[in-house]
Amino acid sequence: MADISISNSSTAAVGSLSVEALAGPQKRARKEALIRSVFLLASLVSILISVLIVVSLVRESWTFMTQVDWSVTWGQNGWRPRRGLYDMPTLLVASLIVTVIAMLVAGPLGLGAAIYLSEYASKKTRSFFKPILEVLAGVPSVVLGFFALFFISPQVIERIGRNGWLVIGAVIIIAYLAVIAGWTRNLVRREAGTELATQIKRVLTLTALVATALILIWWVNSVAGSGDPASADFFSVKRSGQLAAAAVGVGILTIPLVASVSEDALASVPQELRSASAGLGARKLTTTVQVVLPAAVSGIVAAFIIGISRALGETMVVFMAGGAADEATFTSSPFEGSLTMTAGMASLATGTDNVVGEGLTFQSLYFVGFVLFLLTLFLNIAAGRFVNRVRERY
Amino acid sequence: MGESFVQLPEEGFVTRVIRRKLQLVASIAIISLAAAACGGSSDTSTDASASGSGVSGDVFISGSSTVEPISVRVAELFESIEPDVFVDVEGPGTGDGFQKFCAGETDISNASRQIKDAEAEDCAAAGIEYTEIKVGIDGIAVLTNANNSAVDCVTFENLFNLIGPNGEGTTTWAAADSSLPDAPLDIFGPGAESGTYDSFIEIVLEDLAEEAGVDATTRTDYNPSAEDNIIIQGIQSSDTSLGWVGFAFAGTESKLLEVDGGDGCVAANADTIASNEYPIARDLFIYVNNANAEENAALRAYVDFYVTEGLDTAVAEVGYVPLTDAAKDEVRAGWNG
Amino acid sequence: MGLSTIGDNQVARRVEDEIFRSGRDLRGTGFRTLMFSALAVSVFILAVLIVQVVVDGWPTLSGRFGDFWSGTLRSRSSDDGLGISQGLKGSVWIAAFVAFFSFPIGVSAAIYLEEYAPRNWLTNTIDIAIRNLAGVPSVVYGLLGLFLFVKTLNGGQSALFAGGLTLAILVLPIIVITSAEAIRAVPSSLKQGAYGVGATQWDVIRTQVLPFAAPGILTGTLLSLSRAVGEAAPLILVGAITGRLAARDSSLIDQLGERFTAMPIIIVGWVRNSGADEGFGPAAGAAIVVLLALVIAMNSVAVLLRGYFEKKRG
Repeated sequence: MADISISNSSTAAVGSLSVEALAGPQKRARKEALIRSVFLLASLVSILISVLIVVSLVRESWTFMTQVDWSVTWGQNGWRPRRGLYDMPTLLVASLIVTVIAMLVAGPLGLGAAIYLSEYASKKTRSFFKPILEVLAGVPSVVLGFFALFFISPQVIERIGRNGWLVIGAVIIIAYLAVIAGWTRNLVRREAGTELATQIKRVLTLTALVATALILIWWVNSVAGSGDPASADFFSVKRSGQLAAAAVGVGILTIPLVASVSEDALASVPQELRSASAGLGARKLTTTVQVVLPAAVSGIVAAFIIGISRALGETMVVFMAGGAADEATFTSSPFEGSLTMTAGMASLATGTDNVVGEGLTFQSLYFVGFVLFLLTLFLNIAAGRFVNRVRERY
Repeated sequence: MGESFVQLPEEGFVTRVIRRKLQLVASIAIISLAAAACGGSSDTSTDASASGSGVSGDVFISGSSTVEPISVRVAELFESIEPDVFVDVEGPGTGDGFQKFCAGETDISNASRQIKDAEAEDCAAAGIEYTEIKVGIDGIAVLTNANNSAVDCVTFENLFNLIGPNGEGTTTWAAADSSLPDAPLDIFGPGAESGTYDSFIEIVLEDLAEEAGVDATTRTDYNPSAEDNIIIQGIQSSDTSLGWVGFAFAGTESKLLEVDGGDGCVAANADTIASNEYPIARDLFIYVNNANAEENAALRAYVDFYVTEGLDTAVAEVGYVPLTDAAKDEVRAGWNG
Repeated sequence: MGLSTIGDNQVARRVEDEIFRSGRDLRGTGFRTLMFSALAVSVFILAVLIVQVVVDGWPTLSGRFGDFWSGTLRSRSSDDGLGISQGLKGSVWIAAFVAFFSFPIGVSAAIYLEEYAPRNWLTNTIDIAIRNLAGVPSVVYGLLGLFLFVKTLNGGQSALFAGGLTLAILVLPIIVITSAEAIRAVPSSLKQGAYGVGATQWDVIRTQVLPFAAPGILTGTLLSLSRAVGEAAPLILVGAITGRLAARDSSLIDQLGERFTAMPIIIVGWVRNSGADEGFGPAAGAAIVVLLALVIAMNSVAVLLRGYFEKKRG
């Protein structure tokens, strides 16, 4: 505005240049203010939704928590909401099994794909594979549910279960854990003393402990559970979908997410680091494993946490291929059918707009939802912290 | 860029607008509902309903998922006669259905058992009067794996020992009932929400449980499923499995056990079920809200069709055992009277 | 960056190839192969999935294409009237809800956050709310829809508007985040130029920011549309119908208050029915082919669109 005319503003003194004059005509300012408040309003919708979600969850959960006899929520042998038995361990253990197996699928595949795309692939290869991964990310979960029930369950899981290939599976899992452990040791040694190293160490130790415990539980289960020792089945496998099949389906759904977040983390590592490493004579492998990956580790951890959160919240695949409906008996074996928190909720609500049943059945839906909400919220906040750490570093 | 010409709008203003927005959503919903209600009753297109009497209106059915296919099939057949009668059907389960029915939310409740006293009291308390209509029979098949040659016939006592609460924790047939072979026991059945579960308890377990002084329920350590195919597949997964499903869903892959209800072993088939010889059979019902039937000609016409064509055709088409002719006449007389 | 970079520089790559020609760097080659196989396996799974679904669904789709398209929910899989028209209608409605509610609100929110928002607690709260909403499992949105729209606003009866609004809410954070990213990428020189010639903030947004960010916003919207069309869990909670839905001929406004179903719900219902009536399995496969084609088409357009504009702008 080079030309301030004195007639521009009625509040401006004649001949002098005031701040008010620079503001332009009032009508224009009012219009701008109106537009601004419309946009503000739109952004406030997100707060409104958050509040409504919390209110709806807390309201019914509160009724549940204050009225329920807590003994029916722990130590019963199954989740039977319509009979007034709300055994949380049934749902929590099934959720844990599905999440762990899903991450065993999505973790290495997603991270491997990200490393290849970010460190090795030529521009042409990248532009071929990236859109395909994005298509995979867009596949609706009901499609994976169908695939898990009609393909993964009979073609993959049952074969593993029947032929005792699970031994091979267990070896792969243990090898995988060993690789992680070795890698962590290197990493921790390099970053010794930093807060990050301690945290990662803690997280991974916990994961390793949980995984080891799970493997032990399966093994004990298979020995104690099979009444016929001569049976060729390593574990008795049900033909109608089981947690393992659903978990592999969930894992497939999670691959693109892990890949894309990890790739972002790898891409944010400055090129100078790679150049410097190459300049010192390091091989590509050394550069990738010892320079780039450690530099991006916060982001990769974030990718895994986001993947876990996604797997925990996935509903339809487990609902369709998890091998249980409406009720579930407690099981710690991935080769049996059970309900995760999400599938339990979907089962309870299927086919009707009014969930009824004995006493607190409807409220139990919201209680489970609330527990799930808190868990994913915690994971998402943790992931956010790790992502921010990468941003701050570079 | 973030500098503003005016101050931030006050918090009160924002809340007001959001509230107004919510009201708008609410009023859209209310208007559209009202429009739907009016549209349903006033929209009488005559050309399409050449063969029917031209009644129009909405019918909403909830309740048993076992009976759901019959009511859906009847609606499909009825559609070609009365295209202006709109029938929606959902199937959460018999118990859920009665809760909605007795709250006045549905016109018809599908049921795979008779209404319970407690449910009837709820209905009475809400002033809902109803007509019970028997529409067909569903036998409950007791199944084992086709490879299991050790067992051919089971008595009610056997079943009570195997599946009743006293069986809790047993892992072989012999451990549950010493008269049975020593083989692993894997039990598959419907979950507690299912009418088949209720019927099985009522027909097989209830009296024996009373004698034994235990709750009339099943053991809790079996594999429950709301889906019949999951039960069937479970039965196929173990050579000495045991399970129960509706006769219509038993299929041919598994072995149907004969059942002794006190009068000798009887095999389950359509004839023995219709003649009540086979001991584990249950009647299927629909419950019609009387007040709604009086007001809503469409509902009346649908039930009229149900008790005629429905009983004759639809029941068998979806895999249940039709009533005998005498029983059909009784049902028709009951509805028309 | 004047120095050669390992990633894309041809010369560096050639030098590297010379030094580590295959055979000399076994571990390196092994690692590279391992990483590639992770990528390849992921893509292979997608291929198996698509082939399997098409094989399962093709006989139904090709055998009775027209009927399947115009058919409705039926009690028996052998019925000629079995088809997906009601599911398609529901899914189109849901897309309309997203376009009508989430798109304007989401883009407006993104404009506010990127162009207007001062750094204060309110902006922070909005930012945190959006980020966390994006991570809330979809089934929890179903709980919100059940509580807010079905129970509170509609007296306990499920209705199309409840399903539509629930999914509109579900994808709102995705639209805000992707739009905000697109707006953030607008070069500030463009905006400064416009301010320089006397434009107001709204003028700048209208004439400079939005046109430049449009492809990014469109991509985000298409992705969220395909997400909404594929979601089933919230609709199950809200009470979408799997049994029978009468073939009404109601006006558009009437439909909002009626019970409804959607493509993913039909698929779930048929998969569950396939136990009692095996013919529902292939029918579900066929419905999946249609849904998958729809979703992949939307995703591909979005991805291509973004690629095209990225290339155009260098």
